[in-house]
Amino acid sequence: MQAVRAKRAEFEKTALAHLDAMYGAAYRLTRNPRDAEDLVQDALLRAYRFWDSFQQDSNCKAWLLRIVTNTFINEYTRRKRSREVLDAATAEQDATDGVLVHAAANDKQSPDRLLLEHSVSDDVQRALEQLPDDFRTAVVLCDMQGLSYKEIAEIMECPVGTVMSRLFRGRKLLAAALREFAVAEGYVKATEAKSQTIDLEKYRAERAAREGSR
Amino acid sequence: MSVCESIDTLSMAYLDDELAGEERRELELHLHECASCRGHLDAERAEHELLGRALVAPPAPDLLRAKLSRVLDAEDAEAARAGRTRWTRWVLPGSSMLAAAAAIVVFVGVQMPASEHRGAVVKDAVRQQARMLPLEVQGPRTGQWLEQNASLELPQAHDQGWPIGARLLPRGVNGHDAALVQYQLELGGRPSMLSVVMIRDVRDGDLSDGDEVEVNGHVLHVVEQDGRVAVTAVDPTSHVGYAFTAPELTANELLYIVGRMAP
Repeated sequence: MQAVRAKRAEFEKTALAHLDAMYGAAYRLTRNPRDAEDLVQDALLRAYRFWDSFQQDSNCKAWLLRIVTNTFINEYTRRKRSREVLDAATAEQDATDGVLVHAAANDKQSPDRLLLEHSVSDDVQRALEQLPDDFRTAVVLCDMQGLSYKEIAEIMECPVGTVMSRLFRGRKLLAAALREFAVAEGYVKATEAKSQTIDLEKYRAERAAREGSR
Repeated sequence: MSVCESIDTLSMAYLDDELAGEERRELELHLHECASCRGHLDAERAEHELLGRALVAPPAPDLLRAKLSRVLDAEDAEAARAGRTRWTRWVLPGSSMLAAAAAIVVFVGVQMPASEHRGAVVKDAVRQQARMLPLEVQGPRTGQWLEQNASLELPQAHDQGWPIGARLLPRGVNGHDAALVQYQLELGGRPSMLSVVMIRDVRDGDLSDGDEVEVNGHVLHVVEQDGRVAVTAVDPTSHVGYAFTAPELTANELLYIVGRMAP
């Protein structure tokens, strides 16, 4: 029991210090406060169960965000899959009934209510909605949580070069969507990309060759 | 590739503070001379700051904090009631492993495959796990079947997981006889799969690629192969090698489980 208490105290001191970061990431990944709370609860419980396996000298925030991200990916893809099955079944049902209902016609919300709920914060969530999961995850981990390319590469289990191209494209898409939603906010005008590829390795290799030939 | 041609890459890495000192100095020098790149960087910086502001999220609600505290209390209470954490039930009895080891010695024979290709065994083991071959036996008879057909003893997993089935690997693993066992895990209500490839007659070093980690007194290795994380262990007395993969678990989670199943 003593050991349990010691573990709990250490966990609260070290891991719970990052609760806001975990919740923030979950909030942006799930794009909905209720799902964010569920995700944080699942992730924190897993972190607590695996606390013994956490290497004390490594970055605790990155470790926790890794659990949040993985839990999100697993849960979300499963839910999405079951929703697709459900949607397919519904579509089939509608077709056999001879009634094909347009998705928008199912929206029971009144225009007033939609207007009321519209705010800049919703714009961000809706803009994030348009990003593929991989892009959104990279942007959230970098721009929101300040993790390094290398830490993100470890979390997303991909090379640093892939992290950079996901970040680059994710940021461009997100900025474009934000601009589209919030013209009235007077946001900056679009920056034109000069090239279509992001490749730091290539630049470094060519730079090394240049240095060598001097 | 000049600085101008790479300005997208460089300004991104610059703003994310990922450039090496020398690269940073070179870019800053260039910015003094090139108005076009300077303008580009300024615009990128504005966009960077816009995204940073937009992504700020609310702090965790107080109600959530209170709820999490209750969730952890419940977890502690359960651990105390069990007298140990749920994970320790995974412990593999060492004695049964030794018995299996004794049976295997007969099988080893004279020649051990040479290990000139380090990493080849792990590579092949992970590939075989990804092949999704049909199991030869399914259900509770798995352990018995494995002992009869491969003289290998099933690593036990109680309560939180159970073997689904097993098969012999027709081509073996890089020339070694091998069998595959699959488990269904139920971790906190979250189902996931654990595959174990058991490989005969491996030498020290055959499975020691990647990072060495010590868990529960066991020396384990973590390798990444074809996008999968595998944890490997070798029983030094029986020369049986184990390669564990679980696509739905993180490397840390997998290590934790293997640390309690390994020989």
